[in-house]
Amino acid sequence: MSKAVLIDTTKCIGCRACQVACKSWNDLKGKKATFSETWSNPRFLSSYDYNRIIFREISHPDGRLDWYFIARRCLHCHDPACASACPVGALVKMPEGPVVYDDVKCIGCRYCMMACPFQIPKFEWESAVPLIRKCTFCADRLAEGLTPSCVATCPTGTLLFGERPALLKEAHRRIGAAPQRYYPQVYGEKTAGGTSSLYLTAVSFEELGLNHRGFRTDLGDVPQGLYGREWMSKVPYVGVAVGALAVGLHYFHQRRAEVQAEERKED
Amino acid sequence: MAQKVEKWYPGEGKLTPGWTIIYILLMLGFVAACARLYLGLGATTNLSDGYPWGLWVSFDILAGVALAGGGFTMAAAIYIFNLKKFEPLLRPAKLSAFLGYLMFIIGLFFDLGQPWRIWHPMVMWNPHSVLFEVSWCVMLYTAVLAIDLFIIGLERYGKESWVRFFRDIYLVLVVAGIMLSTLHQSSLGALYLLLPEKMSNLWATQALGPLFFTSAVIGGMSVVILESLISARAYKRQPEMDILPDFAKGLGIALLVYFAMKVTDLYARGVSVWVWDKAHFFFFLELLGTVALPALLLVYQKVRQSTTGLFWAAGLSAFGVVLNRFNVSLTSYGGYRSFSYFPSIIEIILTAALVALGIVIFDLGRKLLPIYKSELSGQSR
Repeated sequence: MSKAVLIDTTKCIGCRACQVACKSWNDLKGKKATFSETWSNPRFLSSYDYNRIIFREISHPDGRLDWYFIARRCLHCHDPACASACPVGALVKMPEGPVVYDDVKCIGCRYCMMACPFQIPKFEWESAVPLIRKCTFCADRLAEGLTPSCVATCPTGTLLFGERPALLKEAHRRIGAAPQRYYPQVYGEKTAGGTSSLYLTAVSFEELGLNHRGFRTDLGDVPQGLYGREWMSKVPYVGVAVGALAVGLHYFHQRRAEVQAEERKED
Repeated sequence: MAQKVEKWYPGEGKLTPGWTIIYILLMLGFVAACARLYLGLGATTNLSDGYPWGLWVSFDILAGVALAGGGFTMAAAIYIFNLKKFEPLLRPAKLSAFLGYLMFIIGLFFDLGQPWRIWHPMVMWNPHSVLFEVSWCVMLYTAVLAIDLFIIGLERYGKESWVRFFRDIYLVLVVAGIMLSTLHQSSLGALYLLLPEKMSNLWATQALGPLFFTSAVIGGMSVVILESLISARAYKRQPEMDILPDFAKGLGIALLVYFAMKVTDLYARGVSVWVWDKAHFFFFLELLGTVALPALLLVYQKVRQSTTGLFWAAGLSAFGVVLNRFNVSLTSYGGYRSFSYFPSIIEIILTAALVALGIVIFDLGRKLLPIYKSELSGQSR
């Protein structure tokens, strides 16, 4: 069945243990970090950072200051735009939940990076023959009956792994039990056709200022890949129609020229 | 039989400033290409996770294919609509179309992260993917153009029985070419249907496919005119001024149709165009400067019948097609996040070298194949 991770960001303390666990399980190289105006580190996802915690400070008009920690990683869409975009089918949604990538097929065209509404696939820009890299949902661990390494590491229960319908039920139970604590929507329940990473937040992603930083809120419930697939479903018909029209017009015009030549001869 | 001639055109073989620039570009391009393959995309281009597609996609691929639309446009005009008087323009159009697709494939080779896997879409299928369809159509259409040039080559060497065989099945090639072109020219626009949320709504429309197709027809027609005028000057011949004015009328109509499509689309989507920023500057430059203006120019008979007038009108509309492709793929995408992109020197050199290579091959094709009317022995196809 389709697995998912419920990310209850109100429980996150920003310890970044999940970042470390992700790096060590996937054997990703480390980079020397520098200070910046935010506590978020690294500043962007990359081919060697599949997962990061975004630190957001929100100051309220009454002087209160809230600090939120939002885990950013692949959302593992039900109907991923990347999989619809990839010309060689290197990206695939598994029935178990993960959206996985096949190193052997990829030609490095980067259309998945363009298509992903969450800007998740990253490219190995430092390599001479680069590949795409992104969170794998620890598909290799799932196959062994283990939970993803970030979930296994999280000390606060922010990350909850399980069957997607059960997690959605739990998410709505939490919202119902403490409406003052949560923004009343589960990000990922319907976003872009539904995702396997589900987010509970204290305030909306617009208020967090993240709706243009990977957590789009204007995507609607339609998976982006649908636009491409709709186009592709028309292609055979357009091809046949254009072909038939071309042949028909060719003979029509040829015949007309012949008739005109005949008439000229008769005159 | 092709006769042996000392010189193919007056001044051939002289190292003019133009040829000097072309040879220098080719040498620089060779170095840039080696650097790109050896060091990788990250080291040699300004592409990043924020801007995965840059100059090579915008120019070599999107603009190049649109400008190479002359092949199928001319074939449709002559064989489907029976406008036989434009026949002298057909062969140069075929040659430049073939070059356009050759440039596309070479450009794509350098743009891919895994260039050696360029053949993967042949055996690894994803029929849901627009890019998969584009790659198949481009592959097949390049093959059609290659066969076409091969027939012209057979003619040159007087293999009459072979030429007759190909002429018998010629309609199949023409129809296949038109079908494949219609599909991939529009599908190149449909690539951008998947990312409306990342694009400025000046260009993010569900009508991108038909718009790309129409502007490819414009691109192809204007290149046919430019090609006739420029090669006339370069090879010291007369441009086909007996048919070009009529042909330019067709270009004017295509521009008007395209303008109407653009305006209808903007109006239907309720886009607010009266804002002043960088994106809107390029938007107005494209719509008014390179669609409306050449259409207006071509209304006047005087413009259509002067080489200078034709040069400007066709030049503007060809530039407009290129600008449109840059607008859809870069201007529109810009401002989306705090990344910026300007092509690196290696990206620019490689693109310029590709254009230079195109000119060299065109010159070669012009020498080796019977391309122009005067060279055709008897009836032509």
